[in-house]
Amino acid sequence: MNTFIIARRILNQLQGDKKYLALSIIAPLIIIYFLKLLFNAFPPNVPITNFTIPIGALIVHFLSFLLCAILLVQERTRGTLERMLISGYRRTSIIGGYTLGYLGLATIQAAAVLFESLWLFNLDYSGQTIFLLFIVIWLLAVVSVMLGIFISTFAQNEGHVFPFIPLIILPSVFLTGLIIDTNTLPGWAAFIGKCLPLHYAVNIIHEIIKPTYSLSSTYLDFTILIGYIFLLWILASLTLKETE
Amino acid sequence: MTNAVEIDHLSKDYGKLRALDNIILSVPQGAIYGLVGPNGAGKTTLIKTLVGTLKPTTGSVKVLGLDPLQDKWKLRKHIGYMPQTAALYDDLSAKKNILFFGAAQNVPDLEKKADDILAFAELTDRGNDLVRTFSGGMKKRVSLCCALIHQPKIVFLDEPTAAIDPHLKIESWNLFRKLAKSGVTLFISTHLMDEALLCDKVTILGNGKIIAVDTPQKLLERGKTKLKYSENGEVKESILDSTPESLANELQKLGLNQNITSISLQPDNIENIVLGIIGEKQNSESTG
Repeated sequence: MNTFIIARRILNQLQGDKKYLALSIIAPLIIIYFLKLLFNAFPPNVPITNFTIPIGALIVHFLSFLLCAILLVQERTRGTLERMLISGYRRTSIIGGYTLGYLGLATIQAAAVLFESLWLFNLDYSGQTIFLLFIVIWLLAVVSVMLGIFISTFAQNEGHVFPFIPLIILPSVFLTGLIIDTNTLPGWAAFIGKCLPLHYAVNIIHEIIKPTYSLSSTYLDFTILIGYIFLLWILASLTLKETE
Repeated sequence: MTNAVEIDHLSKDYGKLRALDNIILSVPQGAIYGLVGPNGAGKTTLIKTLVGTLKPTTGSVKVLGLDPLQDKWKLRKHIGYMPQTAALYDDLSAKKNILFFGAAQNVPDLEKKADDILAFAELTDRGNDLVRTFSGGMKKRVSLCCALIHQPKIVFLDEPTAAIDPHLKIESWNLFRKLAKSGVTLFISTHLMDEALLCDKVTILGNGKIIAVDTPQKLLERGKTKLKYSENGEVKESILDSTPESLANELQKLGLNQNITSISLQPDNIENIVLGIIGEKQNSESTG
């Protein structure tokens, strides 16, 4: 019950901060447009369709992670997190409430990024493919929200979140198969890439957009992506401190 | 009747820094209890230990007979906490903030209670306005409402009147008195020494240690009073203890001497007395 109360409060807050809400939806759309300008400059033989949706997924991953982590850290610095705990909210309710609250925003981000990419890049996918692409980006957004909650437990202020960007997001760009196949990387680098959730989202997207796609080829990647949600939930529940 | 707060040999360390050192204290129920001391004395650390967000390094704490760590869920139903910062959601209205914190304890008739508490804090007209439009003093009052919505038996107020104007400070203390009259125990920390006079009993904290525990009247009596009088046109001064007996003795000595044409008494202010007590204690520790 308290989970829903916290989620509702987060949605009320987002409604009250229209600038933040608009920015978190418009910013990814602008970045996708910049991506279009970049890809326009590429030689025609570069298979840009292999990069478009995965990069869109990366943008949602990055923004969902960052916004959620920073807002939860703000709860700590403003004292509202401590007040929530003393008022009687349990940490599992707080994590659940945050996940549910930000899922609304992450869903809109995922849909906006996907449909803008399809439109700008003239990607002609079937309805089933578009639906599955949305599901992958949405699942990645959920993982990102959980990752943001988990990372926020290590940060005492907003500035402490930023060192995690080069630690988590940048390796995701280089080592997860987004730009180059992970099989071409040294073993240790490929291993790091396989530890990052974006790797599995990129794998699924690459499979889905193949004309010969069958769901069975992505079961494992889907399972691992969903597994990340539960793993990060448990880790965040263990690391969110109630006492010091 | 058990005490509202019982602290037994409590110490709290942050690494090598000892923030609280061997605190022994009891707070009777229904009192306005003041925790007075300069910034960095350990007041917030003590309050956070009492509300269960800090773990004692050694010693034990009981609030309403319960351990703030072991019995936290039972205890949180009965304690209110107003932190030093407003700790509110700026993008929500005052009423939504109160409803949110009240909902954690499943308060029955929450809507009505939120309206009542807003009226109690004289904020009915602004209840639906966003907190970000409020002044610092009004935010403090909303914060107090959030601490009181579930009708706690004891409320911990950390610097509740810091950085608010004198008029609002008086209003806040009127609210505190109303609460105390209704049987709620108030545990108030402040670095404003004059507020010690408004409490029923006061503990002075310095460098994490208890320096003194006394009533405000007895604290005032620890100061000195400057007696100034004119006798045959000559101004004379003497420094006396501020106890009623000492003043009476001195005035008796002067008698009804017709040559004395004026008398004035200048007692130490509470700030000087408290700082003097802290200084004396620290000097005796460094020399002893």
